[in-house]
Amino acid sequence: MIVAEQKSLDEIKTMLAPYQKVLIVGCGTCVTVCFAGGEKEVAILASALRMATGLEGNPKQIMEATVQRQCEYEYNEAIADKLKEVDVVLSLACGIGVQTMNEQFPEMLTLPGLNTTFLGQPTEQGVWVERCQACGNCVLATTGGICPIARCSKSLLNGPCGGSQGGKCEIDPDVPCAWQQIYDRMKALGRLEALLEVAEAKDWRTSRDGGPRKIVREDLRLEK
Amino acid sequence: MTEFEPQILAFACHYCAYAAADLAGSMRLQYPPNVKVVHVPCSGRVDIIHILRAFERGVDGVFVAG
Repeated sequence: MIVAEQKSLDEIKTMLAPYQKVLIVGCGTCVTVCFAGGEKEVAILASALRMATGLEGNPKQIMEATVQRQCEYEYNEAIADKLKEVDVVLSLACGIGVQTMNEQFPEMLTLPGLNTTFLGQPTEQGVWVERCQACGNCVLATTGGICPIARCSKSLLNGPCGGSQGGKCEIDPDVPCAWQQIYDRMKALGRLEALLEVAEAKDWRTSRDGGPRKIVREDLRLEK
Repeated sequence: MTEFEPQILAFACHYCAYAAADLAGSMRLQYPPNVKVVHVPCSGRVDIIHILRAFERGVDGVFVAG
């Protein structure tokens, strides 16, 4: 899922300073399940903002809405009417949702209430860790299903490096060395010999290095 | 000057705190009128949003008993 964190109340208050009527729009997908921008977080933030701005002597009118999936126009249509009543939208979706809202409703500014952080997995209650960097050319088949791009601090393709100590990465004793994990997994799978193969330099053009990415599926497109 | 009397909202669990309040009533014990009791099936039902709403609507303190 896309994992995000809410911005601080102070930062949100500063962003909203020029506006009086605010619609907070949550998203029912990734940010709901990582407890950053679902219906509940919208209600909590709205309440906190109403109280904070009230205590400062300038109570803002805060409205609330949550759409199923803010990164698709069809779902955002459901709140089009509410936009007429407000000065600004504060989105509690990921950066994709914020941009979709700005594209879809160009007359209305949509501000980000979250910091979109990474593509990750909840490993235990309240803990999320990065698992994929969307490099566009998956190498998991050769690394025992453990991603060295997202999980090795240096994104090494032929690891580990000298900074791997006792199974941990040199950047932080709490960060496991991805290449140690890959080695252990390949050993358990009886496929250690596959690691003797030297991975060639990766073509990063499929990642961000090739500029903004786009997929066009002609088989799915509607005829123009 | 009148003394500050905080308005308190008490969320009371059906099985313990509310039962205790009920018993106190049966025993004709008095408690201050600035405490308002909300009966909840379990104090685990109380969510942060219930507490925030209470403050938004003007209470000075929230008491969760369970």
